[in-house]
Amino acid sequence: MARFRSLALVAGLALLGVAAVTLVPAIGQAPKYGGMLNVMQREDPPQGFSIHETSTISTVWPGMPCLSNLVIFDPLKKQESMDTIIGELAEKWSWQDNYRNLVFFLRKGVKWHDGQPFTSKDVKYTFDMVREAKEAPAKLRINPRKDWYSNVDNIEAPEPHTVVFHLKRPQPSLLMMLASGYSPVYAAHVPVANYRTGCIGTGPFKLKEWKRGEYIDFVKNTDYFVKGRPYLDGMRYVPIKDRATKFAAMQAGRLDVSFPGDESRTIAEQVTKAEPRIKLTIAAQNVNDNMLLNVTKPPFDNVKVRRAISLAIDRRGAVQAVHQGGGIVGASLAPRPHGVWGLLEKDLAQLPGYGKAQEDKAKAKKLLAEAGFGPSNPLRIEMVTRAIPIYLDLSSFIIPELKQVGVEATLRQIETAQWHPLVTRREYQAGPNLTGIGPDDPDANFYENYACGSPRNYTYYCDEQVMKLIDQQSQELDPKKRLQMVMNIQKKLEEDAARPMIDWRLLYNLQWNYVRNLVPHQSIYNWGRMQEVWLDK
Amino acid sequence: MRSSRRSPPKEAATRTYVARRLAIAALTLLGMSVIIFVLLRLAPGNMVDILFSTGGYVSESDKQSIMKELGIDRPVWIQYVDWLREILTGNLGKSYRYDLPAWEIIKPLLPVTIELAILSTIIAVLLGVPTGVISAVRQDTTLDYALRVFSLAGLSMPSFWLGMVIILVLVGWLGWIPPMTYVSPTENLKIHLVQFLLPALAVGYRSSALITRITRSALLEVMREDYIRTAWAKGQSGWIVIWRHALKNAMLPVITVIGIEFAFLIGGLVVTETVFNLPGVARFLVEAVLWRDYPVVQNLVMFIAIVVILSNLFVDMLYGWLDPRVRYGD
Repeated sequence: MARFRSLALVAGLALLGVAAVTLVPAIGQAPKYGGMLNVMQREDPPQGFSIHETSTISTVWPGMPCLSNLVIFDPLKKQESMDTIIGELAEKWSWQDNYRNLVFFLRKGVKWHDGQPFTSKDVKYTFDMVREAKEAPAKLRINPRKDWYSNVDNIEAPEPHTVVFHLKRPQPSLLMMLASGYSPVYAAHVPVANYRTGCIGTGPFKLKEWKRGEYIDFVKNTDYFVKGRPYLDGMRYVPIKDRATKFAAMQAGRLDVSFPGDESRTIAEQVTKAEPRIKLTIAAQNVNDNMLLNVTKPPFDNVKVRRAISLAIDRRGAVQAVHQGGGIVGASLAPRPHGVWGLLEKDLAQLPGYGKAQEDKAKAKKLLAEAGFGPSNPLRIEMVTRAIPIYLDLSSFIIPELKQVGVEATLRQIETAQWHPLVTRREYQAGPNLTGIGPDDPDANFYENYACGSPRNYTYYCDEQVMKLIDQQSQELDPKKRLQMVMNIQKKLEEDAARPMIDWRLLYNLQWNYVRNLVPHQSIYNWGRMQEVWLDK
Repeated sequence: MRSSRRSPPKEAATRTYVARRLAIAALTLLGMSVIIFVLLRLAPGNMVDILFSTGGYVSESDKQSIMKELGIDRPVWIQYVDWLREILTGNLGKSYRYDLPAWEIIKPLLPVTIELAILSTIIAVLLGVPTGVISAVRQDTTLDYALRVFSLAGLSMPSFWLGMVIILVLVGWLGWIPPMTYVSPTENLKIHLVQFLLPALAVGYRSSALITRITRSALLEVMREDYIRTAWAKGQSGWIVIWRHALKNAMLPVITVIGIEFAFLIGGLVVTETVFNLPGVARFLVEAVLWRDYPVVQNLVMFIAIVVILSNLFVDMLYGWLDPRVRYGD
């Protein structure tokens, strides 16, 4: 009997041991509450927290934790698509009338950080203001994304927790744009100017203090509408200008998370080598390097010349030389496997400038000769670019590439203050450029960068046929058909050298190993809400 | 008795001298205000262009309305007169970038920069004067050569580079660097000192090199004077001769250099403040220039100009104390 008892005891202990071993990791993964997250910030946010008034990650990154959208991309899923959209201020939504009406059923009991109730009026106020509706009660000082909502005919708030977006034509992508970090809902009772100095949102964190040039402090919103969130007690965003200092601060543990897009491959690898407890996640940025060619003036009104320029630039060489391998080649939508709409490798290889470098350069010379340029009459162009390193690095790569096909390019560096006035007034021939796109979505990209009349269509490329195709894909409800249409548009844009894509930047995100649930997506603009983040300390 | 009879005219002369200097300072500031105002507006683009660049587009009609809102659509001379009037009434205008009163932006920057400049100057003096003296006294010895190499190295190394090396060495060897957000002395004095001592060392070393060289050459010159030879001949102790007789007289050019260095540090710590992420005047000034935040730039530059003028005045007043031959009324 005694022996049996001993055996039973041993067996029991063994079972406990097995249970302990198997359960410990699960317990270890259970989110923990509390703690402060120290987050890297590139600069004081331009326009404060007024995300609708900027197109820079410097505002979106610290603005997102305070604000909420109607819908958002699931923060825990790496790849954003229509399938990863989840409700935020909207509990659910429904497409009606064959995708002409988008009805949002809003959460009840949601409060703004100042205690006021959130209602459908706030949604109508925000998006009427962004689309500059006649009846809009307020106006944004700067409104870069008005065109995203050009298909919205009317927004109706029939009752406090229902809002209806009436569209001129079906547009499934509207939901994608509404899920972007660029699409928060503002409080109707707060003047829009106040978002430039403070933040009254419904997000998981309340703004505690913004000390200019020093830090932005957030505290947990205890009234947050998602039960049990956020996990963190607070966050501090620390603006650090100097690149070496900010990564030294990361390595020394003064910061827990790097700023999206500030990390080059080389720096990220150096930091993780020096401090193995810092983990590196490679994702995409949805930011591309491209070449602006002013199609309204000679010589780039000639498609042959534009195509020759596109053929001259070795994309793979650019990835290696400019980004030390930290980029990928793709057309006008983010390439796979990060992006959803990117061209397949075999299709890409057929496009000008994406094949073998020497063969493409030979084709470029031939096209230039057909356009009347050659050794005796070389094409001479002036390129302009912003006098900041990321633009200059790209320009330094392109000039010798062009020289190899007989194009003599000079570079004029201009200050940021002059850049957009200059390209908007079409006072340039060519210019290496960077373009960031909110969601990985054809509508967000095509209407912003390629549509006739769009203020951000810097090349002034305007093709009626392409516009028709863009409109057609926008209202196509069958995802497979739409993908095919989008791929065809991308091919056409590259063949026309509308804005030759050079490469897509990769993200080398750094986080200390105790940071959990901060998942970089394929666009840097959409994963800064932070409500799921917790510290395993 | 004699001195009490002579004091009032001397004091009056000093007062007149200071008043005259202050009047000249006021004129200088007025000239400075014109220069900075005009130069800022000669720079291409304005705040509204920068705002639009964060939006990635430009709308001419919206641009005009924002310029109107900020008041930069008015004739330049009206803007200038308004600015002067605002300064006189103690109102520094509103920061375009932050949409806050400029004084609210500028106020917290001042103690940071002033403290860093004072600490750096103290380190520079503590390091520079003794090394200069030793170098002069031990002229052409191994010690002199070593100290001259040390000071030459300080002159050759930019302080921001030294600051960066300090940061990288700390993080590489200790896995530690000072906090990246400003810690006030009331919050934590120890951390505050650490936060300031490192950049002050980097800056102070460079300044000390200049002070060393000036002290050495000035002292060498004075030590060849007859009265020093007389003091030696009278059998006074070597250090008494150097500290009491020679150094006091050699200090005039050194004090001038210290004054200039201090004034320079108020506006010249851009990179050091950036490297150590200290929220000081210089770092903010560069940011404000890039943003064409006219009210902040104009007022910060005026502040720097005032510090330069006052420190020069202070140095000049010190001359009289150090060298009784200096007469302010002359």
